[in-house]
Amino acid sequence: MPKRSILHMFDPMPNNSPFDINMALDAGFDVLMPYSNVKLENIHNLTQDIIFSRSPSGVKKTAIFIGGRDMGMAIDMLQACKPAMVPPFQVSVFADPSGAYTTAAALVACVEKALREHHGKELKGCKALVFGGTGPVGIATGVIASLQGADTVLIDHLSVDSANDAVKQYNRRFSSQMTGGVARSDDEKAALIADADIVFCTAKAGIRVLNAAVLAHAKQLKVAGDVNAVPPPGIEGVGVNDFAVPLVHATQSVNAVGVGALAIGNVKYQLQHELLKLMLETETPLFLDFREAFSKARTLV
Amino acid sequence: MEKPFILHMLTTAKNLSPFDVNMAMDAGWISAVPYINVEPSEVRGLVQDAIFSRSPKGLLRTAIFIGGRETKQAMDMLKMAKNSMVPPFEVSVFADPSGAFTTAAGMVAAVEKELADKFDTTLAGKNVLALGGTGPVGQAAAVIAAQAGANVRIIGRQLDRAERTAELCSEEFGDGKITIAAGADTDKAEYMQTADVVFATGAAGIELLSAELIAKAPQLKVAADVNAVPPSGIAGVDAFDNGKPIAGSISGAVGIGALAIGNIKYQAQSRLLKRMLESDQPLFLHFEHAFEVAREFIKSTN
Repeated sequence: MPKRSILHMFDPMPNNSPFDINMALDAGFDVLMPYSNVKLENIHNLTQDIIFSRSPSGVKKTAIFIGGRDMGMAIDMLQACKPAMVPPFQVSVFADPSGAYTTAAALVACVEKALREHHGKELKGCKALVFGGTGPVGIATGVIASLQGADTVLIDHLSVDSANDAVKQYNRRFSSQMTGGVARSDDEKAALIADADIVFCTAKAGIRVLNAAVLAHAKQLKVAGDVNAVPPPGIEGVGVNDFAVPLVHATQSVNAVGVGALAIGNVKYQLQHELLKLMLETETPLFLDFREAFSKARTLV
Repeated sequence: MEKPFILHMLTTAKNLSPFDVNMAMDAGWISAVPYINVEPSEVRGLVQDAIFSRSPKGLLRTAIFIGGRETKQAMDMLKMAKNSMVPPFEVSVFADPSGAFTTAAGMVAAVEKELADKFDTTLAGKNVLALGGTGPVGQAAAVIAAQAGANVRIIGRQLDRAERTAELCSEEFGDGKITIAAGADTDKAEYMQTADVVFATGAAGIELLSAELIAKAPQLKVAADVNAVPPSGIAGVDAFDNGKPIAGSISGAVGIGALAIGNIKYQAQSRLLKRMLESDQPLFLHFEHAFEVAREFIKSTN
């Protein structure tokens, strides 16, 4: 009997994400095994336990998924898996905490495409604001945009210190060049958005981050992307299915367009699906994080 | 290829009930995934995570089961889950904390059957005593019986707790459309003078009703006991009894034991799990629906 494929799902949180469970089964894994409350120091032993109970051909049908909510922890866990492999006993590993890596990759890829098609520009040299910037999607978005050469500001809604802490930690880790900012009120948002080319909205679901009055202050906004699918939209006037639809409230910006959550979600969905499937199909083990996710997302849009 | 059936199983306890896992798999769910120690406040996040990774068509093959131990908590979680849906992204949800909803439904349906078969009557207007009725099974059984028209009294060792439970059942689970009374265990001899039906839903191994009280009850018709561990909750009612006359009863009352109830409970839970698999729209299932399918099952065996 052929061996069934198994996805071992490591999560530092008390529970796995139901989103990832659906995705993993739909990508074709036969058996999902959740591991909750996993600590970084457990990764080595768990990984070796996984690789040594199947033959080298069996381990090809075995993989690890790393979830959680913490962007940095997931990267640390992914890194900790690598030295635990003992070739030819080795498996693929894919980290996507809270779906943040694939969401961020899809968001930046969609915005990049709209920027190219509607403004003939690249991310490089553009000023990009990331609202909800200290959450996992925000940080991954910021790092990807910064590594593409955008002048990227991570914005926290309460404290500039939180933003600067995240910026410092992740710039060091990924050699990005983000800066930090705070937007506690509509006035602060209006001041920030005045000279922004790109807005990424990655705040909590159901929260209106940018209303029409704030958008009216943008003088050179080109593309705004919003990942919030729960009404109201994070950016007023951006419909969930919009892909490069004119931003009517950005009255001072010429040809500004918006990309909505389901348009991005659609790419994110395909992306996560493809990366999970890739682990089932690959001959050599893969280690996938948001950088690989972004490369793949570019081919999908 | 059709998407595999996934049941996301939430519990506030530190483990799922293996009973529920077996039931889910046997009903046809392909993957049953546990979420443990879930706080009610986490329900919204988990539900919204579950609904956004499949298309509305795929979501018809996805559902949520709510376990745990507490009736109110499970009902609150069910409501919260329902309110977290973003149509057309929505899935079915079924709450059955500790199996209490389906157990209660099985018990009340079995009692209703005996009333019909042996006494040619219904629950409407009957006086029902829910002994040990402050627990999850007692609460759900009291509400189901009251909704079927019975006058229900929840009996507890502490009167104030019984009163609080009765109020919760009437207002919260019955939407204020039913009125459930309360009584103290020390007064049960008096209540037995007018009782038509007795439910025993106390902790395992505690006798809630003595042979003497049973014998003297002038209008007792059916006594049902969910306890499968000796001694019985009701003296003279054995776990295997299914409508057997209770020895010494002057009113000719019959007994229903835990295994007879368990069989209907099993059918009710299985049917609700299957309903979610087959439905072309999201369902939100609790004790009322459990009673519906328990009745359906009994009808099918007649």
